[in-house]
Amino acid sequence: MNLSKAEFVAGSRAVAPVLVGTVPFGFVAGVAAISAGMTPLQGIALSVLSFSGIAQLIAAQLIAVDSPVVVTIGAAAVVSLRFLMYSAAMAPHLAHLDRRWRTLLAYLMTDQNFALAARRYAEPGDTRHVHWYFLGGATTLYVTWQIAVVIGVVAGAQVPASWSLDFAVVLSFIALLVPAVRTRADLGAAIVAGAVALWAAGLPYRLALVVASIAGIASGLAIEARHARK
Amino acid sequence: MKVWLAILGVSAATFLLRASFILFADPHRFPHGFRRALLYVPPSVLAAIVAPGLLMADGALDVGLRNPRWIAGILAIAMAALTRSAVAAIAGGMAVLWVLQWGLARL
Repeated sequence: MNLSKAEFVAGSRAVAPVLVGTVPFGFVAGVAAISAGMTPLQGIALSVLSFSGIAQLIAAQLIAVDSPVVVTIGAAAVVSLRFLMYSAAMAPHLAHLDRRWRTLLAYLMTDQNFALAARRYAEPGDTRHVHWYFLGGATTLYVTWQIAVVIGVVAGAQVPASWSLDFAVVLSFIALLVPAVRTRADLGAAIVAGAVALWAAGLPYRLALVVASIAGIASGLAIEARHARK
Repeated sequence: MKVWLAILGVSAATFLLRASFILFADPHRFPHGFRRALLYVPPSVLAAIVAPGLLMADGALDVGLRNPRWIAGILAIAMAALTRSAVAAIAGGMAVLWVLQWGLARL
């Protein structure tokens, strides 16, 4: 077995424990697309093209209330800003690859892939074939995710509204929010953003989400700055 | 048509952000202040989605007992914090919601 193939297999194996979380999350993303009024084809297209659970859930939420397209795209972009950080961190490792490779790996990059690849690149030794490791993990995650979404799309179309499966979408955001709050500044940002979102709920075009997010980010930075001075 | 435009736009946005530094820009030109601000994007955006999802019903604030979502949500937050498991939070929250809905229907 050559080195590229060995790295690919190692990457697929490394991502396996993560799949336990991927499957239910993908299922919920599929359900969300259907609850939002998308057709099964639209739900699957969104997933195949964007391959981002959080962006898919946000898009579903905003499409459900018939938001303007610009607001839906803007909100999905805001929740995806973290990709800028990942992209900046990965860029030096991938600089030696040709454009096709870099395009493919950028397209497949998720929170989990990024974390695994970054860890592998930090290990000592020869890292010339680590892009195969990245590709192995990413492909495994991609295929698993799409299968889970399709199951969610099919189930979402069958389950009656009285089961309140749409609430699973809010719960999946809670499951992301809780581990994202690690410091006092994170907590402050979350509380301010939540309060502003309620207070501004009457704003048109779902602008409350944008206003509340900016208020939360500003609060986090302000709390951090005060702590640093003490 | 509108939905397809949103799907294409969201997909383009996520790809361009992922590709930003890998394909287009020099990562050394990533401003420090912006990097610090990005740290607060997840807690802020997620809380801004969760709060109305739990505390509002039909466009108005509703923290009464007729709205079981905020009770199920608070318990889900506790489960997520204690177990660190997304599956536990989602499954537990749905279970609590169903029990409360079932109970309310019989009041």
